[in-house]
Amino acid sequence: MAEKNSDFEPNIVAFLCNWCSYAGADLAGTSRIQYPSNVRVIRVMCSGRVNPLFVMNALQQGADGVLISGCHPGDCHYMQGNYYARRRFMLMRNFLEYLGVEPERVRMSWVSASEGAKWKEVIEEVVSGVKSVGPMNKFQRRQLNW
Amino acid sequence: MVDVEKLREIAREVVSREDVRQLIGYRQGTYGFRARPAFITSPEEVDQLIFSPACVNNLATYLTLEERLPVPRGQEPDLRKVAVMVKGCDSRALVQQMEEKAYERDRIVVLGIPCTGVVDMDKVEKRFPNVLSRGEIALEGDKFVLSFDGKREEVPKEELLADKCKRCRYPTPLVYDQLLDEEVSRFADDDYADVLALEKRSAEEKWAYWEEKFSRCIRCYSCRNVCPMCYCEDCVLDRLNPQWMRRSVDISETTAYHIARAYHLAGRCIQCGECQRVCPVEIPLMELNRKFYKDVEELYDYEPGTDAEAPPLLATFKVDDREDFIL
Repeated sequence: MAEKNSDFEPNIVAFLCNWCSYAGADLAGTSRIQYPSNVRVIRVMCSGRVNPLFVMNALQQGADGVLISGCHPGDCHYMQGNYYARRRFMLMRNFLEYLGVEPERVRMSWVSASEGAKWKEVIEEVVSGVKSVGPMNKFQRRQLNW
Repeated sequence: MVDVEKLREIAREVVSREDVRQLIGYRQGTYGFRARPAFITSPEEVDQLIFSPACVNNLATYLTLEERLPVPRGQEPDLRKVAVMVKGCDSRALVQQMEEKAYERDRIVVLGIPCTGVVDMDKVEKRFPNVLSRGEIALEGDKFVLSFDGKREEVPKEELLADKCKRCRYPTPLVYDQLLDEEVSRFADDDYADVLALEKRSAEEKWAYWEEKFSRCIRCYSCRNVCPMCYCEDCVLDRLNPQWMRRSVDISETTAYHIARAYHLAGRCIQCGECQRVCPVEIPLMELNRKFYKDVEELYDYEPGTDAEAPPLLATFKVDDREDFIL
């Protein structure tokens, strides 16, 4: 089963909203805050843009964990996008857990543009969570080696 | 139970109306105990109509299934109403469709059937295999009476009753123009025992369970096609760009299909159980749908298909929704 050794470096796909979390991650970078390099960032205009199928597809294509990050409630650039996202991913996460995908693999966070330090904490938390459950070995696509 | 003569009388009256195009009801199937949908357009055909515990189909599906072709220039669109016979569970599909503005209330005529439970045809066929001549099922007290080949068999209600009926909360239709019988009061409730039992297992056990179930899937899409809530004209499964799940029968793609199908019913599934009934490989699809049903009820205090005025669950939010999973 899962190789839970310390060599395992997970792939984490992060969907960050353009207005808060992406700027927050950018701030972490410009402030030279060190955080784990396992995360691959995809910028979206709003956390409400993230379709639950994105999460499913990322897990299928070999991500070990997925993070969705948006503005704090009330701060959304589009007034309410993050509220919709919150409902969606509450259900999606519970459902994936029901299928046997560990809840550590699907995470959500609120990171504002000024929270570079929080971004670091979030990533550390997500990476250690995914490391504790090991590589995704459930329904990812088989890779063909031609 | 519904008096068939009264049913036909009301149906005849409805079909004869100028503003009604057709009536969707039930008729005797070609063999065995089965009933099948009937599409009645003239008063002469009304005598085919029946209602019995064999009438398991959810006819609300057909309201949205009908293709609406563009109207040629110079012609008027057919705006006549469609009448439909619904049981309690099926009426919730109508409510949910109207909640989503699939059509207006005045486009349909609803003949409500207060329902005391229908049979599970798989259970009937297991009990009485290979009945080829036409048979009939009736409910008498707490027994199903099956008559076929000149025989008459009595079976306790519990043994043949469909699982969905054992947890039915709304036996009397929630929306109707005419009720075909006396109202039935609630005789069962839902305790989510099946969902809770599965939730308690470990992640490995859950995945082993679902992997076995999903690996059987042959991707026939019957579960989508029969579902009264799956009526998008442009379905995510048919879409090629982006193609979210490929068509190969492969555990990865099949799992993706089942995630997408179930998620699209989050806060919309009205528990009619049609998907599981039509599944040729017996995947317990209702266990997926019921997980969402349970979560939605617990987290957001929302029950799909009960209030046509309420906004759809995922198209609304509350500021104080639970967010303890968010970092």
